[in-house]
Amino acid sequence: MSEPFRAFHVPRGVTVRDLDLLEGRFLCLYPSPDPGLLTEAVATARKAGRRLADRPVMDLVPVIDAAAATLADAAHPAGDVARRLVAAATGYSMPMTDMVITRMVADWRSRPLEDLLQAELGEPSVLDRFVPAGPDRWVRAYGPDLSFHVFSGNVPGVAVTSLVRSLLVKAPALAKLASDEPVLPVLFARALARQDPELGDCLVITYWPGGREAVEAVAMAEADTVVVYGGGPAVESLQRRAPTGRRLVVHGPMFSTGLIAADALGGDLSRLARDVARAVATFDQQGCVSPHSVWVEDPGGALAEPFSAALASAMEEVEQELPRGDLTPGEAYLIQQQRSIAELSGHAAGGRVMASAGTHWTVVLDPEPAFRPSCLNRFVRVHPVPDLDRALRALAPHGDQIQSVAIEAPADRRLELAHRVARLGASRITTFSRIAWPPPNWHHDGSSPLRELLRWVDLEE
Amino acid sequence: MLDREGQALRDDLLDLMRSGAGYELSTTDFDRLARRVFAYNYRHVPAYAAYCRARGREPGSLESWTQVPAVPAAAFKDVELVASGATAERVFRTSGTTRGAERRGEHHVPDLSVYRASLRATFAAFVLPDGARLPVLSLVPHADRAPDSSLAFMVNDVQRHFGAEPGATFADPEGVDYDALDRAVRQACDEGRPVLLVGTTAAFIHWLDRLAASGARHELPEGSRLMDTGGFKGAGRTVAPHELRQAYGQRLGLYPHYCVNEYGMTEMLSQMYDAGLRDAVAGRHGPPRKQGPPWLRSLAVDPETLEPLAAGRQGLLRHLDLANIGSVAAIQTEDLGRVDEHGLVLEGRLAGAQPRGCSIAMDLILEGGT
Repeated sequence: MSEPFRAFHVPRGVTVRDLDLLEGRFLCLYPSPDPGLLTEAVATARKAGRRLADRPVMDLVPVIDAAAATLADAAHPAGDVARRLVAAATGYSMPMTDMVITRMVADWRSRPLEDLLQAELGEPSVLDRFVPAGPDRWVRAYGPDLSFHVFSGNVPGVAVTSLVRSLLVKAPALAKLASDEPVLPVLFARALARQDPELGDCLVITYWPGGREAVEAVAMAEADTVVVYGGGPAVESLQRRAPTGRRLVVHGPMFSTGLIAADALGGDLSRLARDVARAVATFDQQGCVSPHSVWVEDPGGALAEPFSAALASAMEEVEQELPRGDLTPGEAYLIQQQRSIAELSGHAAGGRVMASAGTHWTVVLDPEPAFRPSCLNRFVRVHPVPDLDRALRALAPHGDQIQSVAIEAPADRRLELAHRVARLGASRITTFSRIAWPPPNWHHDGSSPLRELLRWVDLEE
Repeated sequence: MLDREGQALRDDLLDLMRSGAGYELSTTDFDRLARRVFAYNYRHVPAYAAYCRARGREPGSLESWTQVPAVPAAAFKDVELVASGATAERVFRTSGTTRGAERRGEHHVPDLSVYRASLRATFAAFVLPDGARLPVLSLVPHADRAPDSSLAFMVNDVQRHFGAEPGATFADPEGVDYDALDRAVRQACDEGRPVLLVGTTAAFIHWLDRLAASGARHELPEGSRLMDTGGFKGAGRTVAPHELRQAYGQRLGLYPHYCVNEYGMTEMLSQMYDAGLRDAVAGRHGPPRKQGPPWLRSLAVDPETLEPLAAGRQGLLRHLDLANIGSVAAIQTEDLGRVDEHGLVLEGRLAGAQPRGCSIAMDLILEGGT
C-alpha cells in the first residue's frame, strides 16, 4: 500500500487539517487529536441526528442495506478496497478476509435488520412515534442523543455492527477506531454517506492513541451512551472516568468452547471435525466466539483419539481453503512453546500433539480435563472426559468469561446441558457449525443489542 | 540426591568447575560433556525422553550441543522436570507475576553442590576478578527467609564464601530497609572501606529514586562494586542500561565497569555476567557482552521455526547449561538477543502475544480449575 489509509470519517462541513501517522502493520493517517475539532464534529453529527427523528426507521434500513451491498460485492470497487485494506491491516489471509467481510456484511442487509428490529421491539415504529400500548397509554423509544463507541481488536465487522445498531435507534455516533482494524467502519461510513449524505453526517469516526485524556473527556462529556469493546486497564480507566449517569455498555474479552456427547460421535467423524475445525480457524481463533477447547465424552476411552485425528486432518484441509494469517514472532513462538509444554506435560497420561509443519494449526489431545486457555491462532485442545459433568466442573471456575458453548448431543440431553452451561454463565448455546457466526438478533453477551441503547417514554392519557 | 551415574557426572563437572570459570573449553570437549549430560537427562526425566524421541533426537544421535532439544523455560510451570528417583535437595520457584494468576515455575535441584560450584566460580571470575574480598551488602532477602528463591540462595552463598566482615542483608520478603542500607553505605564511605552491593535491578532503581528525591549521593570507596540482576520486574518502569549505569555513577560514585549485571534464571544453575570488569582487570577491552562459564553455552534461534541462527543474528536465546544435570540442560527462553564469538547481547523480551481480537488473553484466565 503506497498511500496511507485515511482512517477517519467526519460529517460534511467539518474540516480536518492536521493528520498524524499510525504505524502498525499498515500505515494510516488520523486527525491529530484536537478537543476543539472533536467538539465541532460531534455537534454537527448531533444536529444531523436530530433530523432522524422525522425519518421512519424502516426508511433508514434500505439505506444501510444499500451501503452494505457495495461492501458485500468483492467485484464492486468499495468491496474490493475493503477486502484488500482489511487484509493488510489485520494480517488475515485474503480468503479469510473475504469470508469474514461477506458474512458480516450479510447481517447489515434489509432482511436481517428488519428481523432484528422485530425481535427487539416487536413494533419498530415505536422508534418513530408514540404507539398505543394499552387502553390509555402510548409508548415511544428514544435512542441516545449521541453514542460513543470504543472499538478494539481485529475482528472485522464487529465495529460496524455496533454503528448499525446505533443508527437503527436513530442515534448519531462517535467512534474511536481500533488500531488493529481501522478500515471497515470508515469504509462503511463512506458508503453510507454516498447513499445518503444526511445519514453519513450522523457519524464521526476517528482514532486517537490511548490515554489522550483531553479528547476522551470531550467524548465522555458529549455522549450519553458509551459502548466499549475490549478490556484491560484502558477500559477500566474509561469506566472510572465515566460521568455518573452515563449509560455504559461493555463487551469485554470472553472465550468460547464446546462439549461433544458420546452419542454425537457415532459414524462419520469428518463432518463434525470439519465444523470444529472451521470454528477454530475462523478469525484465526481471535474472536470471542472462537472455541479454545472441546470436551469429548469418552467413557470407554476409544472416541477422543480418533476424533482428534479427524480434527487434525480437518484443520489441514481448512488451512488449504482459508489459510491462517501472518503472525508476529511473539505469537509464533507462543504456539511453539505451548506445543512443547503440551508434549512434556501430557506424555505420561497418553496426551498427543498433532500439528502442521509450520505453526499453522495445532490439535492437542489433552488427557487433563481442566480448562486451559488457548494461545489462539488455531490451537485447540481436545479433553477426553468420562462424562460431561467433568467438563462442566472444569468450566465452572470460568463462568463469567464464557461466551458461546457449542453442544453436540441428542436433543433431550442437549437441552439439559444447555441449562447447566447457561447457569455457569454462558450467554449463547449453539453448534460448532454456527458458533463463529452469531445471528444479528442474538443476545450479545446476554444483552439486547437495541433495547440496551433505548430510553422508553410512556405517554398516558 | 543423584544416583551413582549422576554422582559420577557431577564429580566430573565439579572437577571442571574447580578450575574456575576463566578458561576455554573447546567445542569438542563441550560437545562431549553435553552428550553425557543430555544422555543422563534423557534417561532420567521421562517426560523429556518422550519429547526428544518425538524430535528424533536420542543419545548417540547428536553431533553437536546445538542439537540437544530445548524445553521452554515456561514448561517448568507445568511439568516436574527432575531426574526420576532423585529427591530434590531444594526446589527453587520463579517469582510469579503481580497478577498472581500464573503458576510458578519449579526447578527441582537434586544436588546443590553443582549449583554452589558453578555460581562461585562464575561470580569470582566476573564480579571479583581482582580477587577482592569485600563486605557484601545485600538487597536480597536472606535465604532462610526466602527458601524458594535461587537468587537468595546464590547471594547467601556468595556472602558466606567471598564476603568480608561486616556484610549485611537489608531486605526481607516484604521489602528493603533503605534507611539501614543508607546508614551502612555511609559508614563504609566514612571509613573508606570498599563494599560489594548485590540486589535486583528493581530494588536498586527504588534506591536510586529515593536518593535522587532527597538529593543525596554516596561516594563509594574505590574498589567498591555492584551486581544487579533480574530485570525491571517490580520497578514500575524500565531504564536503559547506560542510564542506569550513569545513575549508579551519579548516586553511588561507581565506575561503569564496576557495575556488573547478571543474567540468570531459576531454571538454570549457571549464570552470565557483564564481562567488562573482568576484561578491565585483565587489561583487555572487549565489546559490551555477557559471558558465562565454559560449561554454559548459548545460541539464538528463530522464534517461529526454533532453528539456530547464524552468529550475530537476533533471535530467542537458548542455553545449554551442563550444571543442570538433575533436570534438563537445554532451556529455550523468551529473551531476545544475539550471540557471537565475544559473548551474548541481551535485547529484551519477545513482545508478548496479546490477543488481537475479542478473545480473552491466555494469562487473564486463571488456570487449573477442575
